[in-house]
Order: sequence, then C-alpha cells, then structure tokens
Amino acid sequence: MDSGYIAQQLANGVILGSMYALVAIGFSMIYGIVRLINFAHGDIVMIGAFATLAFMETAGLPFPLVAFFVLLTGCSVGILIERISFRPMRGAPQVTGFIASLGISIMLQNLGILTLSAQPRNFSFPDYMQTLFQLGPVSFRVVDLIIILTAIFLMIALILLVKKTKLGIAMRATAENIDVARLMGININKTIMATFAIGSGLAGIAGLMWGGKFGQIDPLMGYIPGLKSFVAAVIGGVGSIPGAILGGFILGLAEVLFVGLLPPIYSSYRDAFVFGSLIIILIAMPNGLLGKNMEDRA
Amino acid sequence: MKKCLLIIALVFMSITLAAPCFSAEPIKIGALYSLTGGMSSIDTPSLRGAQLAVKIINQNGGLLDGRMIELLSVDAKTDQKAAAIGAKKLLSKGVIAGIGHSDPSFVLPSAPLFQKKGIPFVTSGATLPTLPMMIGDCMFMVPFGDDDQSFAIADYSFKSLGVKNVAVWTDNSMDFTKTLSRFYKQRAQELGMKIVLEDFFMMGDKDFSAQIARLKNTSPKPDAVFISSIPNEAGLTTKQIRESGLTLPIVSGDGFDTELIVTVPGKELANDVYFSTHTYREDPRPEVIKFVEDYRKEYGVAPENAFAPLGYDAVALIADAITRANSAEPKALKESLAKTMGFKAVTGEISYTRPSGVPVKGVSIISVKKGKYSVEEIWFPTVK
Amino acid sequence: MKTNRPRYSLAFMIIFLVVFSFFMDKTANDYLIAIVCFTGINIILAVSLNLTNGFTGLFSLGHPAFMAIGGYVTALLTFSIQKKPLFLPDLPQWMVSLHLPFFPALLVGGCCAALVALMVGLSVLRLKGHYLAVATMGFLIIIQVLLNNADSITRGPLGLNGLEDFTNVYWVAGWVVVTIYICWKIKFSSLGRSMLAIREDEMAANSLGINLFYTRSFALTAGAFFAGVAGGLWGHLITAMTPGSFSLIMSFNIVVMVVVGGTGSITGSITAAIIFTLTNECFRPLEENFGIYGVGEIVMSLILILILIFKPSGIFGTKEPDFVMGKHKHQN
Repeated sequence: MDSGYIAQQLANGVILGSMYALVAIGFSMIYGIVRLINFAHGDIVMIGAFATLAFMETAGLPFPLVAFFVLLTGCSVGILIERISFRPMRGAPQVTGFIASLGISIMLQNLGILTLSAQPRNFSFPDYMQTLFQLGPVSFRVVDLIIILTAIFLMIALILLVKKTKLGIAMRATAENIDVARLMGININKTIMATFAIGSGLAGIAGLMWGGKFGQIDPLMGYIPGLKSFVAAVIGGVGSIPGAILGGFILGLAEVLFVGLLPPIYSSYRDAFVFGSLIIILIAMPNGLLGKNMEDRA
Repeated sequence: MKKCLLIIALVFMSITLAAPCFSAEPIKIGALYSLTGGMSSIDTPSLRGAQLAVKIINQNGGLLDGRMIELLSVDAKTDQKAAAIGAKKLLSKGVIAGIGHSDPSFVLPSAPLFQKKGIPFVTSGATLPTLPMMIGDCMFMVPFGDDDQSFAIADYSFKSLGVKNVAVWTDNSMDFTKTLSRFYKQRAQELGMKIVLEDFFMMGDKDFSAQIARLKNTSPKPDAVFISSIPNEAGLTTKQIRESGLTLPIVSGDGFDTELIVTVPGKELANDVYFSTHTYREDPRPEVIKFVEDYRKEYGVAPENAFAPLGYDAVALIADAITRANSAEPKALKESLAKTMGFKAVTGEISYTRPSGVPVKGVSIISVKKGKYSVEEIWFPTVK
Repeated sequence: MKTNRPRYSLAFMIIFLVVFSFFMDKTANDYLIAIVCFTGINIILAVSLNLTNGFTGLFSLGHPAFMAIGGYVTALLTFSIQKKPLFLPDLPQWMVSLHLPFFPALLVGGCCAALVALMVGLSVLRLKGHYLAVATMGFLIIIQVLLNNADSITRGPLGLNGLEDFTNVYWVAGWVVVTIYICWKIKFSSLGRSMLAIREDEMAANSLGINLFYTRSFALTAGAFFAGVAGGLWGHLITAMTPGSFSLIMSFNIVVMVVVGGTGSITGSITAAIIFTLTNECFRPLEENFGIYGVGEIVMSLILILILIFKPSGIFGTKEPDFVMGKHKHQN
C-alpha cells in the first residue's frame, strides 16, 4: 500500500464526507432549533435528486439554473414539512416528533415508488463535468472538485449567516432559549421556518451532488444518507453546525478508509466497524465531539 | 307485440352473456411479489409479466373449457413476515398454484406453506439450485440455477475471452450473489484459471473506489473481473471501473441484465461487459419478439429487466401444465408440471429432467460493446 | 386505596384469551391464525419495549437485535440433531449436539438476549436521549452484520429455514399473558416507580437514592428477554429466519406502537399493537384490487401523524385507563 493509494482514499473520503456534511448540517440545524429529529431529511435528498433529473432532462435548463431551482425545491419541501409535521408537535415529547418525521419519510418513499416506479434511473451531468484529471497521485473528476468546492462555499456562507446576520442571531437565540427569544421580540415562527428552509435546501443540493457523483437514483435512496447524516450529526454533537461538518467528514473518511485500508475480507464488516467506532466515540465523549449539553438548557 | 319481442330478445341476450359465468369457474393462481420495499424494482416487472400472460390467455378463451384465470396478487413488501402471511392468505383463498419471488430468502418462508398443502409453487426469479431439494416436490423453478449460469459465464471467460487470471468481487449481503461467486470460482478453478484477487462489497454501496484501487494494484494483473451483484450496483460498478481508466473485461451473471449498465456509465464507457442471463434479450425467437411487443403495448415501456419475461413464463408454464393435464386440480397440476419437457418459454426451453428439479435451460451470454447489447452464444448445461 | 379492578381485568383477559385461542384454533383458517399470532407477538414486543422506552425513558432502537439473538438461539436449539449437519455443515460440534424442546429453547433464547443486553448496557447506558438512540441503532446494525457474516452458524444472508412450526395460538397467548403480567407487576412495584421517576427527572431520582445504573440495566435486560422470546416465536411461526428481517424498519414499527399507545401505558401498547397489525392487513384488499401498492403504508403514516398531532402523548398517555384500573385509584 503506497502513499498514492492512501492519498486517493483520503480524497475519496473527503468527497463523500462533503456530501454527508451538507446533509448533516441541515439535520443538526433543525435539531438545534426545535429539538426534534427530522427523519425525513434523507428523503429531501431524494427529492433533490429527482428534482435535478426533472429540471435537467425534462425542462432542459442549463446547469446553474438547475442548481438554483433544486435549492428552491429543497427549501419548499422543508417549509412544508415544518408546517405539517413539526409546528403542531412543538412542546410534545421528543420521541413524538421523531416518529412523526418517520411517518413522513415512509410516506415520501412510498409516494415515490407509487408515482415514479421503483426502478433506479440514471442521470448524468453535462460532459465537461465528467472529465478526469490528475493531481499528483490522485485522480479526480471535475464533478468531484465541484462537490467539494460547493460544499465548502455553502458551509462558509452558512457560518457567516449564523454569526453575522440578524436571522442568524435570531436562529442562535431561538436554539438557546426559545422563551427568552420570544420575549426579545424575535418572530419564532419565521425563524424556525427559515431554519428548515435553509437546512432542507442544503439537503436538496446534496441530492443533486449525490445523483451527479454516482449517476443513479431511486425513490429509496434517501434512507442511507438520512441515517448517515443522523450519525454524523451525533458524532459532531447534535445542534452544532461546525460539529455536523466535522462529523460528516469523519464519517465519510471512516467509511472509505475502513474499506480501503483493511483487507478485503473485512469490507463486509464495514458498517459494523463504523458503528462500533461511533459507539466508542459516544461513550468517551457523550455529547459528541463539539456538542454542548443542550438538554439541560432552559 | 313489438314490446314482447324486445323483451324476449333482451332475455336471450342476457342469458347468453351470463352463460359463461355459469359454466366457468375461474382458475385461481396466487402471485407473491414484493411490490414495495427494496425488491420492488425486481419484482414489479415480474408481476406485470404475469398479469400480461393472464390477460392474453384469457383473451384467447381461457383454459380447459373456457375457464378464465384469476391472478390474485399479494404484496410481500420485501419482508419475510409479509411473505408468510401473504402465502397463507392466498392458500386460504383456494388457489390451485402459486407463483412469485425473485430471491430465495422470500421463497423459503412461502413455498413450504404451499408444499404442506400440496399446492405447486413456481418461482419466477429465485435461482438457488437447491430450492426444490430443500422444499419438496411442489417447488418448481422457471429460471435456471445459479450453478448453470455461473458455469456458463466461467466457460465463456476461459474459452472465448481467454481469461487466465481473474479477480472476483462479491456482494456479501445477499445469498444469490454469494452463491453465484461460489460456483464461478469452482468452475474457474476446474478450468485452470487463477483467482488473483477476491474483494467484497454490500448491496446499497455507492462508492467502489477502494475496491478499484485494489484491483489496479493487484499482481499478477487480472485479465477480467467477475462482479457478482444485483442490478442496483451493476451500473455503478461498471461506471466507476471504466472511469478509473481500467479497460479489462467485466463479467457477471443475470444481475447485470439491466438497462442500467448502459445508461449509468453512458454508451462510451459501457464497453467490454459480458454477462450470462435468461435467454430473451436480443433473441430472435418468435416467442420473445411477441412478448416484447405485447409488453410494450400493454405498459408503454420495454420490459425493464429479465424478471418481466420470467413472470410471464411462470404463468404460461402453469397454463401449459394445466392444458396437458386437462385438469386444474393441484395434484394433477403438480404431476403435469414435473413432466414438463421442452416447454417453449420466452426465457428459453424448460424441461425438468434432473433429479435436483432445476430446469435444463439454455443460458444466454450477452456482450455489451459501446452501449450495444448482442447475444454472443447460448450455453447449454451438459444434461445429467 | 386498592380496588380489585386490576385483578378482575387480568382474570378477564386470561379467560378471554383462552376462549379466543380455542375458538381460533378450531374454526379459523391458517391466514387468520397467522394474523392473530403476529398480533400476539407484536403485543409482546410493544409491551416489552414499553418497559425499556416507556417506563424508564430509554430511547432504545435495539429491540430487533434482541429478537434476532433470541430467535437464532431458539432455532439452533430446536433443530433436530439429524437436520443440523445438512443445513449447517460447518457448525461447531458442541452446537450440533445441543437440542431442546420448544419451551426451554425459548427460555434459553430469551436469556441469551438478556445476557447480551446486560453486556451492551454496561457500555451504552450512560448515554442520554438521542445519543442512546444512535448507540442502540449502531448495536442493531452490528448484530445484523455479524449474523450476515457468520455463515457457519447462521448460514449468512440466506438464513435458517425449515424450522418446525411450533408456534400456535396457544403458545402466543400464553406468552402474551406472561409478558403482560410480569410487566404489569413491575410497573406497579417500587422498581416500576423508580423507573418512572428516572424518566421524569433523573437528577431528582438520583438524589432520592435510586440507583440509576441498576434500574436502567434492568429495564433494558428485562425488555430484551421478552424480545428474545418473541424472536423465537416469530421464527417458528414463519419457519425461517434471515438477518434482513431484523432491521431498523422493524425497530421503528415497534417504537411506533409504543408511542402511539402511550409511552408507559401497558394497555396502550396492547391496543396499539392490535390496531397496527390489523390495519396493516386491512389495507391489503384495497391495494390488491386496485394495484396501488404502498397506499396502505401512506395512509397509516398519515393516521400516525394525525394521532400524534392531536394526542401527542399517545392514546392512553402514561396511565392505564380507568376501565382497567377502577375508579379512585392513585396511579403511577
């Protein structure tokens, strides 16, 4: 095993990690603000992927416009879910919200199978994106580079938003103490809606990337990204955006490296290794890597 | 007077219209497929094929004395519990035969229930060769066994592609793929090929960069890579292998029989791929051409994968057995099925001559070159 | 103030089950019997998960893992000694010679599951809330992967088949009664009150001298025992076992039953399990006649969401309803 091989594996891990990170951020944001796990988050990724297909092939729009519309689609679906499922659940026990979002996830998946058929479909980005190029020992495609750059760009934009803008301050305030925030005159409903919109928009873009990278989408594809983003968010500390980003990259790297560095026999134990390490991390750091103990607040 | 005649005419018409309902009791066949959940992309085409067969047979006057076939379809939901419940439900409705399932892990909870009641169960898509032995004489298979299809592609790799060193990738999460690999390796070693690398992945995996990197670094260099996977990973593996610059032939079994190996990598990269499958794609036999045409007409798309004609064949096989036995009683049907010889199914000729109960069928070896499918040869097992 | 209502309710339930089982066995067809048996198994699962999740507030997603352990152990024990070498040629010799009749096999299965729960609990139970959920989910996936790969013992993804169909209405009814009785007893004992205290406020409970660790361990282990038994019953009803059946999806189904019925309410779990199993079956004819598969799941999800919007603490909340408990009762 030479350094070139390891470098390639690291690169693959980073690419996968960026996608997980994007999905995990949205998930963590939503948890941070309403303390509810949104299990349908993964399915928003699926919707994003199918929306990309629709905009690109059926409507034939140019790529940047497609990305923009997919972002909008993600946002709208997020707002819809918030209205229907999360707003009525505020104040209910935590598990209730989790189960409700699970119901939405099942609904979306079955609607997908019913209307779109369960057959996997392909889609491909414009050709110029598929070109392979070498960076030292590591081979990339343009699409991979775009994924990493977009992910980094979005993450920086998000952190700036949360730290500098009024909306961001409102979001942080609401996450910290919803009652005091209300007393301060913050419009809670709007803030929560905005959080959902942003988080889901990111998930939609992640769907676009997922489809573009792997070339194949199907109505059940959201299950795995959803689960992994849950795990990534928890690793990094639920409710913390930098934590989600860190968690996403760690998960992506762990997956690729487990398969890449261990002998092939262990490839089938990959999930067991990843979750085993997850449990160990959690035992050692019960609130995740960057998490604060949010349960004790307010 | 006129009114009287009118009434008499109407009564006559209604009697003639109702008459078939009086004389013909429908023949009930149960269909157990997973129409929701992970297996739905494979099972739904099978059900559609089966429904098409029923429709055509009924249109042509039904079976025996004008009895119509009624296909009762139950969703197995990619869940063993639902499969078992579904089987019991169908049996309680008095079906004279059952068809279904494309994976042995769903046949195993359902078929023994049929066996217990002496009702034949014909699987359209499960290829595990030990199924009839495990379940009993009511178990019938429409497709060939995994042993045959693996031997076929192994023979082809050695004789036609000249492969001496081969890498084997196996999906370790499914019994079908593990069985396929086991038989391929067995035949490969018998022929004198050397297995230079064994790698694994799981169903649902999207990224194969680690396996590809290992493939590149193996020595001696493999002349081909055998990938044992189901359709969901077929396109992905092909695409990623070709994109990494590797041009070695990719061989596989019927898991690669899907449009995805061309659509996902794109026509340029879908090159030098060979797989063994049920004999129907690009096949000029009249049964095949008629089937594809009828399927297109009925559903508006070409058959999605090989499981569509397999479902069709399951119903057609039962219909043929009923006609030969001249009865729709389960016991007579079972004996008639066991005697099937040379039945011209869409997916090849079916004959049950072996003690294992696995049909002796031809296996198509299909090549994909720059996105075009073509039949390279048809392999036959040396009949035992 | 103690009334005798609960005792009457229990007696009523037992008599009802006996009569019902007898009736079902003699008159109903296989399909209906299977549905009744699955309902019973779901009741055992929901009530036992309620012990862990509902009473003690531990958000555990690992229940199917315990089912799988119990199920496989029971199956391996009930496999006749002649059959074992045929199905599992690589089984270690000491396992081949082990053979037990159904009831002891179920008990051993349940105990194995409980043992594993004890060991897992040692490491995982210090986590809270959603972190515990993820950890138990991880445990479930680890067990699935292990079962999938231990070919010599479990036959991997193909699983075991040809199990004797021991499970019938009587066995299921019997275990339902046992489960409900034991869980009921636990709930209304001081141990049960400790559990509820932990759920409500850990720090307060701790300061009252409740040993958090032992109580939580017990909750997990006891729940796991019944899950293991349920797994054994399951396997011998379907006559086959695969690792794939014990998935996260099953985990959610059980959690849904507990939450909808009311976390902490045994009657709630029973009711929800019955409703859940029956509604699932009721949608089949609709789906089959119109070819719209998946509609059942969609409608069930909608109903679930509606129930949760209008009654977030579940149908019966955390209490047992009055008709079971009797009036002027101090509950909890």
